[in-house]
Amino acid sequence: MILTGSPNTVAEGRVSSIQAFVTSGVPYYVPTFERIEKNALPWWHVNPWALTVPWLWAGLRGVWLVFWIALAIDLLGIVCLMQVVKFSPLLAEAQANAAENVTLIDRYSKWIRNFGTAGAVLLVAGRLWVGGRADRWYYRQYSRWRIDQTIASGVDPRRLLLAGLIMLIVSPLTIYRATQLRLDGRACLNLIRAGEETDALLLRTGVADAASLIDGLQAEYDDLSDQFARLDAIRDRTSEQNSRRSELRKLLRDTGRDLETARTAVATGWREKFDCWFIDDFPTLARLVPPENVIYRRVPDEEAIASGRDGATKVVRTVKDPVEGRRVNIFTYSAESIDISINYLRASFAGIFDAMTNVLRQSLIRVEILFMQTPWPVISFLFLALAWHYTGRATTVFVGACLAFLAAFELWQVAMQTMALVVVSTALCILVGLPVGIWMAKNKWARWITEPVLDVMQTIPSLSYLVPAVAFFGISQPPAVLATVVFAMPPMIKLTALGILQVPESTKEAGLAFGASERQLLIKVELPMAIPSIMAGLNQTIMLALSMATISAFIGAEGLGAIVTAALGDAQAGKGLLAGIAIALVAMMIDRILKGIRMSFSRI
Amino acid sequence: MTGYVVELEGVWKVFGDRAVDAMAAIQSGGLSKAEVLERYGAVVGVRDASFSVSEGEIFCLMGLSGSGKSTLVRHINRLIEPSAGTIRILGEDIGAMAADELRALRGTRIGMVFQNMALLPHRSVRDNIAFGLELRGMDAFSRTRVADRTLETVSLHGYGDRLPSELSGGMQQRVGLARALAADPDILLMDEPFSALDPLIRRNLQDEFLNLSANMRKTTVFITHDLDEAIRMGDRIGIMKDGEVVQIGTAEDIVTAPADDYVADFVAGISRLKLVSAGKIMMPIERFEALNGPVDGADQYPTAHPDDDLDTLVGLSTRSARPVLIRTEDAVVGVVDKTTLLHGLQGSAGA
Repeated sequence: MILTGSPNTVAEGRVSSIQAFVTSGVPYYVPTFERIEKNALPWWHVNPWALTVPWLWAGLRGVWLVFWIALAIDLLGIVCLMQVVKFSPLLAEAQANAAENVTLIDRYSKWIRNFGTAGAVLLVAGRLWVGGRADRWYYRQYSRWRIDQTIASGVDPRRLLLAGLIMLIVSPLTIYRATQLRLDGRACLNLIRAGEETDALLLRTGVADAASLIDGLQAEYDDLSDQFARLDAIRDRTSEQNSRRSELRKLLRDTGRDLETARTAVATGWREKFDCWFIDDFPTLARLVPPENVIYRRVPDEEAIASGRDGATKVVRTVKDPVEGRRVNIFTYSAESIDISINYLRASFAGIFDAMTNVLRQSLIRVEILFMQTPWPVISFLFLALAWHYTGRATTVFVGACLAFLAAFELWQVAMQTMALVVVSTALCILVGLPVGIWMAKNKWARWITEPVLDVMQTIPSLSYLVPAVAFFGISQPPAVLATVVFAMPPMIKLTALGILQVPESTKEAGLAFGASERQLLIKVELPMAIPSIMAGLNQTIMLALSMATISAFIGAEGLGAIVTAALGDAQAGKGLLAGIAIALVAMMIDRILKGIRMSFSRI
Repeated sequence: MTGYVVELEGVWKVFGDRAVDAMAAIQSGGLSKAEVLERYGAVVGVRDASFSVSEGEIFCLMGLSGSGKSTLVRHINRLIEPSAGTIRILGEDIGAMAADELRALRGTRIGMVFQNMALLPHRSVRDNIAFGLELRGMDAFSRTRVADRTLETVSLHGYGDRLPSELSGGMQQRVGLARALAADPDILLMDEPFSALDPLIRRNLQDEFLNLSANMRKTTVFITHDLDEAIRMGDRIGIMKDGEVVQIGTAEDIVTAPADDYVADFVAGISRLKLVSAGKIMMPIERFEALNGPVDGADQYPTAHPDDDLDTLVGLSTRSARPVLIRTEDAVVGVVDKTTLLHGLQGSAGA
């Protein structure tokens, strides 16, 4: 006898395991689970509890899948039914004047009918479906529980409480929202403004509460309108009376508006406040006095020039008068503060920014000359030779075709401009990216700081830093280069760091064991072994730089990208498409050649 | 100078963020390994290890994986800093060395061979071997000559221009050995050098290394997890368990007198034929004569020297009905009869 354990004890073990899992309702679940195992559960089988109170049943037993499905179905059904509640009064209103509102009545009754049917069907069919699936899902949970005892089992009133809490958070607000028409977008803002202005009025008049403020305003208004009526009644007014009259009219208008504001503020009920705070948009949290509107300008410093320092300048700070009573939300407040800071930095450190711009411009001009003034046969030959040496015949033909495309469409010089931009940007990326990558690989803290910065650099939309780039460097090629560097550098840094980190610990240990210093280890062991990874980073950097060509053309980069942006402005699809294809071909050409060069490295 | 090339005295290594506190607590309170882990979250890698290796000796450190032998050997060239204890190389305390002195020591005095070879994949075999020399600033011409000579020593003549990836595992490890030998160091640290190789090549390399070692007389610390290898290679063997060196001795010492049950378990399956000598198992002549009367006609007995191994005794014993007399140059010192011999083979006698 190889099999120990009689059929009886096996069956008992099964029953006791189910018992331990379900704890209550054993007489129901033991045979049900058995029928599920035997594939003998009839199609119409329904768990009565899951049919009637699915969320409670699922909560109590911890079958959260059923809980969420049932909650979603029920809520969706109820929301549909609530549309009936929402549109019924509108329909009644329209029917009061049936002859004029034929289309409205038609539309509303159709909506009511459709939503009502959909809701009812959803509720009934959904419940039936959940009730029918419930035991099978419960059985699946039981199977998982047998492997992992931490999975919810038995009945637990605390879970019931949790389920109730979830429903309390999710259901009432959702259902209430479904009965309400969409709020006017400005309604909540107007309420807030009315409150603010009333507070200001209270402060100005020194009146204690809003009710007496309204009384006072009403009295003033009545008084003013009396005076106005008296003046108005006079046929032949003197010029003095006339001016008094227009003055009164203005006062009357202002007082009337204040009165209206105060009434709105007082009349704002809890219902409006609730709607504004909870069911529409996220409420406006704070209304702040906007930052002081300061403008920094750099102007010639007359005093210094007079004392002999030619071309001396100074920063002048002027403050614009604030708009009376203007309040802004946190977003606007921060945005304006940033604007002012940029303005300040630009004015104060103009020298630095101008110097940077100059360096970039000069190097760009040199590279542009290199590319644009080298005769086209030489450049073509160099590209083809590189392709031939490092890659196969097919790639060489492809590179030739790309060059022919550029030449045939007379995009040669423009493409060379783009190349120059890419070369300068890539050089900057290497210059900065390589050391930063090494630093990042060597230092845990550097990694900790750099990684989020890199993620931001890669994901922040380039248009949003083009604006500050223009603020600092003006519209020209240099800020385009900088924007390109920001976008294209992360892979260089990341893959340099990755390459160094991937060097096996044992290889580094061997280097140290033979007497290498940290520096020797980096130069002779880590960097050579990281080269394939660094080359991959370089490749990606170049591709990204090319893909920035169009975006940076918005701020003055020349080259193929400029043709695309110009075509965008003039809605010339053909031009844009051709220039776009040219960019893609330049990118692919460089990519293929670089890939060949990389392969020649990765033989090791 | 004590005459030892490598000396370790009371070396401890505790890993973890709070290793310093843990070490202090151990020194004052004598905590167990588990207590240190619980209280300080620190792992004791090496526990109070002391041993000395004399010139030209091959000292084997043997233990299972995780017993701390690789950690311990990395203390000898200070790839790992000890938490406590002193390490002297050629009489000099390396704990007190400045960074550049230490680099010079590693570059000239100590060669190391690694289990996974750890060759530089982007350099040719020759440049790998010359790596240490290059680090020291030797010119290309001289270091190439040294590397080529060393290549011959490990019978890899003509492979200098290959990349490591083009070589088989056994050949790669020869390159690793050549790299360690290139600077002609006094000391070789071998960290499970042959463990990753298949048995035939392992045996081959073991023999070759023993030959080389006999010629060059390098002081060697040899790490292995394989007792057979330890017995084959080691003049002396240190057995490690849980970071502690539990026994040090010759293969025979360890097989005949294991220090504890752990070591006994370890050596239980080892064949004693070639390990144990007659002197260890013989019955002293006085006792034999007291029991059986004086041995007369000594010429008719087979005789052996006390240093002869059991294999020899078995051979003698099968050719004669009489017990084997064990004699030195001067006198008969003991007797091995068949019972004693069988007990000796089994390992149950004298224990």
